[in-house]
Amino acid sequence: MGALTAEWIKLKRGLAWPVVVLLPIVLVLAGAATQLARGGQPENGWHTVWVQSVVFYGLFPLAIGVAILGSLVWRAEHRGSNWNALMSGPTSSLRIVAAKATVVAGLTSIMQIILLAAVIAIGKFAFGLPGVLPGQYFAIIGLLVLATIPVAAAQSALSMVLRSFAAPIAVALVAAGISLAILMIEVPGAIASPYGLATRTTQLGTGMFADTGTITAGDITAILAAAVLVSIVLVAVTTAILERRDTRS
Amino acid sequence: MNTRAIANEFAKMRHLRIGLVTAVMILAVLGLSLYTVVSSPTFSPEAPSAWNGLLAGMSLGIPLIFPLLLAVLASRQTDIEHQGNGWLLQATSGLTPGGVCRAKFTALGLVVAASTIGTSLLVLVTGKLLVGIIPPVSFAHWAGFTGCMLVVNLVVLAGHILVSAKVDNQLVALGIGILGTILAVFSQGLPDVVAHLTPWGYYALAMAADYQGTGFVALPLPYPSAAALAVVAVVLFTIITDRFDHQEA
Repeated sequence: MGALTAEWIKLKRGLAWPVVVLLPIVLVLAGAATQLARGGQPENGWHTVWVQSVVFYGLFPLAIGVAILGSLVWRAEHRGSNWNALMSGPTSSLRIVAAKATVVAGLTSIMQIILLAAVIAIGKFAFGLPGVLPGQYFAIIGLLVLATIPVAAAQSALSMVLRSFAAPIAVALVAAGISLAILMIEVPGAIASPYGLATRTTQLGTGMFADTGTITAGDITAILAAAVLVSIVLVAVTTAILERRDTRS
Repeated sequence: MNTRAIANEFAKMRHLRIGLVTAVMILAVLGLSLYTVVSSPTFSPEAPSAWNGLLAGMSLGIPLIFPLLLAVLASRQTDIEHQGNGWLLQATSGLTPGGVCRAKFTALGLVVAASTIGTSLLVLVTGKLLVGIIPPVSFAHWAGFTGCMLVVNLVVLAGHILVSAKVDNQLVALGIGILGTILAVFSQGLPDVVAHLTPWGYYALAMAADYQGTGFVALPLPYPSAAALAVVAVVLFTIITDRFDHQEA
């Protein structure tokens, strides 16, 4: 718990919160702005509002948002002599890696909840849609929270290895693009890529890109299994990498 | 023009993987351009409007890829001065921060110009040799589009160099890069007046072709708008870097 508490203290004074709050809101607003500029109502009500904001968000902005959070969470360790303090402290590599990944995943999950809130707010206040957002979208957000844990672990690992703030973000953009291409040509096991997994989950039930339009129990099981397995593998590999790192001058 | 400072900037690029990021930009836009024509059911290499398919692909790919990676290029090239306190070192050697920014813009500007023109030529050659487009290409339209994209890319690059130099935390620069990507993509659905308000909106204004109804059609290029953007950017960049010169490093 000590490592997590330390991370929490670093976060409180950090700049992660504007990213967590602004990124989903801006994307939902941008999706709605084109609709509002055309002056029409969303054709299929809540479904249209969902598709025009969440599907684009899942293509690459989600991965980039997580990448920024990863860079922010590791930024402090790469500054001054903090890396050497980290290396010479009593905290085990596994606990450092797990605490960092947990913090990035935690912030990412808050980002998804804000996305949900923004979709509801836009649907209600900008378009005046009747009723409430159908329950299946709440379930998809719940699934997305779990499905983004591997991306959080992957980006945390990249930001640990790369001292540059911007480099992991460039990697996220490229990885998200390649993963989307692999998803679309329907390569089996495409969701083994953390980026592909997150993108696939945002498309559930929309019939866009790699989705058929219907959500099956098989889809959900595959997403959950991939989320758990890929997260465990990533944390284990990252721990092994950190174990072999040393102080640096 | 301080040629030694510019040569120094090129020397700094060697360890910043600028070449790799540039290669990713070019290949990603090429991939998206080819994908646009491959995924279009009505596309035929013999059709008189065949080249418009590739132009539409580039009009989609460049706004999607370039804004964020331009932010990454500018951030990496500028952040090293914060990390190694290069501002003070160079100021005491007679090169003030404004001069450093101008040297960075000239050096990175050459790279960005080469990659923008390179992307355009690569798509052209691929269209001829790989896709096998038969009708003659409209070189004037193609060159006009490349010129407009070059102007917007250089303006965005200049803005990012200034932001990365001014704000130590690169989160701000990368955050603006993401917002820019979103603006570039969604401005295509917004009225022209709104697109004129930000540099990224000009990516949408400069769309060279689009899919309308039954096929790809060429769109007129906004030469006066691009020229106005260039003039405003040159004036602002000169004023701001001049102010940098009068600040204490």
